[in-house]
Formats: sequence, C-alpha cells, structure tokens
Amino acid sequence: MAPLQRPAPDDTSPMSDPSASPSCCHSDGMAASADGMERELARELTQLRRKVSVAVVLTALVMLSSLPHMLGVHSLPFLPAWFTSPWTQLILTTPVLFWCGRGFFTGAASAFRQHGADMNTLVAAGTGIAWLTSLFSTVFPQLLIAEGLPADVYYETTAVILTMVLLGNLLEARARGQTSEAIRRLLQLQPPTARVMRDGHAVQIPVSQVVVGDLVQVRPGEKLPTDGVVREGSSWVEESMLTGEPTPVAKAAGDAVIGASMNRSGSFTFRVSRVGGDTVLAQIVELVRQAQSSRTRVQRVADQVVSWFAPVVIALAIAAFVIWFLVSGNPVLAMLFLVSVLVIACPCALGLATPTSIMVASGKGAENGLIFRSAEALETAGKLRTIVLDKTGTLTRGQPEVTQFERLSGGVVPADSLLALTAALESRSEHPLAEAIVAYATRQLNPGDLPAVAGFEAVAGRGVQGVIAGQQVLVGTPRWFPELGIDTAALQPLVERLEALACSVAAVVVDGRIEACFGVADPLKASSEAAVAALRRLGLQVVMLSGDARRTAEVVAAQVGIERVIAEVRPADKSSVIRKLQEQGEGLVAMVGDGINDAPALAQADVGIAMGTGTDVAIAASDITLISGNLAGVPAAIELSRHTMANIRQNLFFAFAYNVAGIPIAAGVLFPLTGWLLSPMIAGGAMAFSSVSVVSNALRLRNFRPTPLPVAAS
Amino acid sequence: MTHLFAADLVKAEPLWRAIEQPMALKALVAIVGVALIAWELWWFLGRHGGGVVARESEAGVQEITITVDGGYAPSRIRVKAGQPMRLAFHRIDPSGCVAQVIFPDFHKTLDLPLDATTSLELPPTEAGTYPFHCGMNMVRGVLEVE
Repeated sequence: MAPLQRPAPDDTSPMSDPSASPSCCHSDGMAASADGMERELARELTQLRRKVSVAVVLTALVMLSSLPHMLGVHSLPFLPAWFTSPWTQLILTTPVLFWCGRGFFTGAASAFRQHGADMNTLVAAGTGIAWLTSLFSTVFPQLLIAEGLPADVYYETTAVILTMVLLGNLLEARARGQTSEAIRRLLQLQPPTARVMRDGHAVQIPVSQVVVGDLVQVRPGEKLPTDGVVREGSSWVEESMLTGEPTPVAKAAGDAVIGASMNRSGSFTFRVSRVGGDTVLAQIVELVRQAQSSRTRVQRVADQVVSWFAPVVIALAIAAFVIWFLVSGNPVLAMLFLVSVLVIACPCALGLATPTSIMVASGKGAENGLIFRSAEALETAGKLRTIVLDKTGTLTRGQPEVTQFERLSGGVVPADSLLALTAALESRSEHPLAEAIVAYATRQLNPGDLPAVAGFEAVAGRGVQGVIAGQQVLVGTPRWFPELGIDTAALQPLVERLEALACSVAAVVVDGRIEACFGVADPLKASSEAAVAALRRLGLQVVMLSGDARRTAEVVAAQVGIERVIAEVRPADKSSVIRKLQEQGEGLVAMVGDGINDAPALAQADVGIAMGTGTDVAIAASDITLISGNLAGVPAAIELSRHTMANIRQNLFFAFAYNVAGIPIAAGVLFPLTGWLLSPMIAGGAMAFSSVSVVSNALRLRNFRPTPLPVAAS
Repeated sequence: MTHLFAADLVKAEPLWRAIEQPMALKALVAIVGVALIAWELWWFLGRHGGGVVARESEAGVQEITITVDGGYAPSRIRVKAGQPMRLAFHRIDPSGCVAQVIFPDFHKTLDLPLDATTSLELPPTEAGTYPFHCGMNMVRGVLEVE
C-alpha cells in the first residue's frame, strides 16, 4: 500500500510512519468531543433553519413583487404599484442577502484574505453582482434606458439563489449528521454506570470511576460497563453490536468479556481488565475515526481538482462575460451569464463525493464487526483477486487436540515414561501442537512429576530436543528426522494414515529410535465452509496456507472446499509465499490470519485481514480486523468494499459530470444552437441539488447488509 | 457566426437584444477582463510567501498556532523533519465547515470547538508535504516537513 501510510514490516521507527503516533484519545474525551460536535451541528441546524424560514418568506414576497415583470405586463390589478416598485424589492432582498446569507460573504472575505476561493466565494460573488447590478438600475434607471436597455432588476434572482443554496446547506448539514451515526451509536453502547464491589458491598458508580481490578456485578439484561474476565457465575452474552456475531456467546469463569456487550440470561461477576481508552469499544471507535480521516487514492485526484476549481470557475465566468459582451454588446445579458456560471459550479459535490461514502461505509463496517484501518483498505479490498487463508486459527478453531497416540513396534520405552519425557520437553515449547500434547500427556499422568530437561533447544518449523535423564529426546515433525540421519521407514505408513485423518503428526525419538507418534487434529470452525464458498462466489481464488504436512493440509482444504493448498510452510516463510503469489501476477492478494505470528505476512499482503478475538491488539499489523473470529466477515468486508467503491464512483461521476455539463450550459454554449439559456435561478437550484444528492447517495450505503451465509451446524 | 448570433438576439425578448457598442469600449472590456482573470488566478493559485516556520520550544517540540477563520492562517507551515510538533488550532469562524481539521496522512481528525484552541501533537516525520483540510475539503493548508 502507499508507503506513507504503511511502514515496512521490519521497520517500526516512528520516523517512517506518521500514523504511528500513540493513541491520544480517551473514550470519555472522545464521547465528550463527539457530544460537543453534535451540539455544534444542532446549533448550526437551528441557525440554518431560522435563516431558511426568513429567506423563504422574503423571497416569496420578492417573487410576488416581481410578478408583473416576469409575466411581461406593466401591472397587475391585485398588486399596488408601491409593492411592485424596485425599491420595495430592494428592501425585501437586502436582508436575505446580508442577514440570511451573511455567512457566504464573511466566509468569502476571510478566505480571500488567505488567498483561498471556495463555495462561499462563488455564491457571494454571484449573488453580490446580481444585487449590485439591480441596485444600479434601481438608482439610475435612466442611464440604462438611454442605452436602449430595459431598467430591469434581478432582486428575485438574487433572493431565490440564496434561498436555494441555504436550503441545500440545511439538507446537507442534516445528511452529514447522519453519516457519523454509526460512531455515535457505538459510543452510546456503553452504559453510564457500573455496579462495583467496594468494601464488600455492591455500589453503583459512574463508569469513569471504575478502575482495573474492580469486581463488577452484571445482572440479566444489563450491558457490561467495561472489559474484563469472568470470575464467578456464567451466562450468555450478546456481542453482536461489537463483533457482528449473531449468536450469543457462552461465558463462564475465566472467559474474557467485552464492555458494551449485552448480558442475556445469567448473572456473573467479572474482574475489570481494561478501562477508558484501552477498552475494545474505545479502540474500535478510535480505529473507525482514523479510517474516516484517511483518504483513498481516488480522493487524491478529486482533491487536486477541488483546489483549482473555484479560481478556474471565476476565470470562466469573467470570460463568459467578456465574450457575451463582445458578441451582443449587451452588458445586462453578459452579467446574467456571469452570475449563472458562478452559481452553477459546485466544488462541494466534488469535495464531498468520497469522504461521505467512506464515513458511512466505515461506520457500517464497524456495525458488522469489520474494522477498516484506512480508506485505502476499504478501496483495495474490493479489487482483491486472490485470498490466502491461514489454516490454524482462521479456518480451524486454533485449539488443537491430540486424537491419536500410536506406539511404534520397535519402541522400548514404557508408555508412561514416554509421555512424561514428551510432556517434559514439550512443556518448554510455545508451539500450539506442543500445548495439545502436554495437555494430553498430563491428563494421562500424575501432575507435577515431569522430569528435568537439560540442553533444551527449539528448532523452528522442525521440533524440540533436549536431554532427559541421560537420554537424548526429540519431538517434532517426521520431516525433520531424515535430516538428522534417522530412518523413518517404519513411521511412514502411520504418518500417512494419520494425515489422511487431517491430523498433524509429531513423532518422539529417544536416543535415535522412533518410539511413538501423536496425531493432533484442529477442528474446523462452523463458518469456514460457507465462508469459503461465499469467497468463491465473489470471484476470488482461495488459497490455504499451512505449516502442516501436505496430506493433512489437503484433507482440511477438501473439507472446506479449497482446491489450492500451499503446505509445509514455516511461519517465517509465510510472507515470502505471499510475495511469490503477488509476483506471479495473481492480482491483489489478501492474507487472512490470526494476527500474531502472521504479522509479517499480513503486512506483505495487499490487504492484511486479522481475525481478532475482539481483545487482540494485533489489530495493528492488519488493514482490516474482524472483531469476531468468524470467517464470514471476510466476504462481508469484500462486499462492503465493492459497494462503497461503486458508490464513490457514482458520486465522483455525478459531481464531475454535473460540473462539466453545467458550467458550459450556464456560460451559454448552447444558446447559439438551441436558444437555450439557463436562468441563474435554475443554476442556483441545480447547484444546491447537486451536493445534496451526493450526500444522499452516500447515505444509501447505510442500507448495506452482507449476504447472509447458510449457517453450518457446529 | 457573430452576425448570426446577433440576428437571433435581435429577434429575441428585449433583454436579449444586441446593442452596438463602440470598438473602444469592447477593447476596454476585453482587456480589463483578461487582466482580471490573470490577477484572480495569481491571487488564488499563485504562491504567496514561503510559509511560516514553526518555532521551537525548549523541549525540542516545534510549535505553531494556526487561526481558523475562513481559512487557515498561516496555511503553509514549515517544520523540520525528525522532530515532534504541536499544532494549535484557534477557531474563530462559526461555519460548521471548519469544525474539523483532517490530516489524512496521519489518519487524524481533530474536532475544533468554536472560540477555543485545540492542539494536535504529531510524531517526528520524514520530509515531505502533508496536506490538511477541513471536514468538507474546501479549506486547506499544507504542512511542509523539510
């Protein structure tokens, strides 16, 4: 991805990554600031509403007053002459311009001092020029009449344009408020108080006073105030608002619980492990806000255009004036073209096209437990061609169990001692298979009588070795032993049989003799098969990556419907496998892993997707984090990305097309051919409508629902 | 062609009629128009000043206060690479448009309450230009790290 936003995986110095600053926001602070922004938005809306109401009433009066002129008659019987006088229109229009529309003029003036030109500049210049021209013909009508021109005034044009732009601002401000709705809803998930044990009594205190280590009581139907670990009791907890996981999760002593999730049936007490800005909820909110602050590659193009836009439009407007004056010699006609060009141009639509869609989409992602780290991740995910799934922890539960323990015929060590030797050695290893073997062995033995190990050594991707009671013991993959000159011929049939059962095999060698082997299986997650099918439906090539023996990996792959398997990959080689796939022209490659030992591969991939358990801060290495461990989130993220990018393309296309078509029409290009002439009033209305429609289109993303997967029986 | 237009215009409503103007006036309008375009483009798009250099505090943090009023003053800020910086935004403009300032390259959004100063601390950064803008992308500034 862009080097600016993404440090090389081995380079963690803050120099290279401007985004690597420590998280500065505390959830309370964030909530407060979100509240502040909400209050400000509400104030802005109230003010706009007041201005729009006044403007609508005055504009209606001005239009009534100019009715005879619009109909081309001298007077109307029901309108007194004083009411249709230009002076009355001047009095009615001036407050519309300088009270209701005051913001446009002050904004334009301060932007001008900063050498800036924006929306305000265009609206203020357009309406200001129309008003000044009208003022001139109100005060000096005879000068125009002497020139052979009607002393017309354009007060109604001025008032209508301003009213419509203000109305557009009002609608847009309301819609903008809705784009950050998802974050607001997330922040509201946290209950305000917690029932905490203090001096042996349960007391209700504000969440901000809860500290790490507190014991919190939760009753049925209550929301959890913060993160922790269950100490007593058990229950079903609904985490869907955070993880997108639809079914409630069973929680008992020792299980981690997440703040803001909803307790269903039971009561329990949990010990607080994280508060404030460290909680999962606060981190999700922070990550979503970060993503919303980043930009997509398409946005960079739009940004370039926006910065040139207003000055170029002003130049075109002046050019339109000059050309029409030279052609017709009619200054009033030329002025109307000038005003039309100024007010039809809408840089806002261009500026809003991408950020609003990103805002809505990243919030929508968070609602479904999909956290996009940046707008680029959201942009790239939809273009993926190949998706690499790590087997352990991604397709499988990641909690392997020993299902087979087989002695070899040539073995001489008694079974009990063999288990003790293996357990002693493996208890020093951190490999997931080792954990399963230790758990199995200690179940068979009396705890606490493991012999001492000397000279322990772990060989990455191979196994472990050490000396126990004078015997050289090795536990590891059968592939390791030929390298050490140990004959594995007797082991082969057994290995083949276990691998056909989707077991990983670890063999035990004592003093150069193969004694036994363990078959360790890792059960599949219920959602894996349906998720793989969904990914293939989305047109992706699915590849499984595994450290297991080829046969084992292929059996697992066949169970979930994956055809392409890259097996026997050591953890350190995962990232080079990804690089090779990228170099082979397999399109953009995503890696899905559980985040910790997969970090280099996640960083190498075009999109790294981490399967978080909702508590992991390994989120940092990935572009997308699935808060739940459910693989169904991967197709959902890709679908959301495709919807979002389609939405952004529609917005940008509309905004560009609108301006590219609107400005020449307003400048009168079609007039010689068709006699079409855009009234400045229609130009103003079109402008107001264009930015509202961009925001409204982005809001359609709120209706996004991931395609539901058939629920597999677990 | 010009003649054709003019003929059409004469037939149209009184407002759209063509008027014979002296050549000198036409020339004057054309010259003033072109000059106005040139000046306007220079004023809005040209480079004005070399940007403001942030001052350095005793703790080695580069500091600068930016006033938010229609635009960012100053809008071009020059800082040194490899040193942390603190940007203080003082917002006096009530327009909702500038209520947020976004630094896309840093993935940072800062909410700016009205009539208050809000600070953003940024880590040491490599040389380069890092644009920042308001929530709606209309008001913009640039951080030049050199």
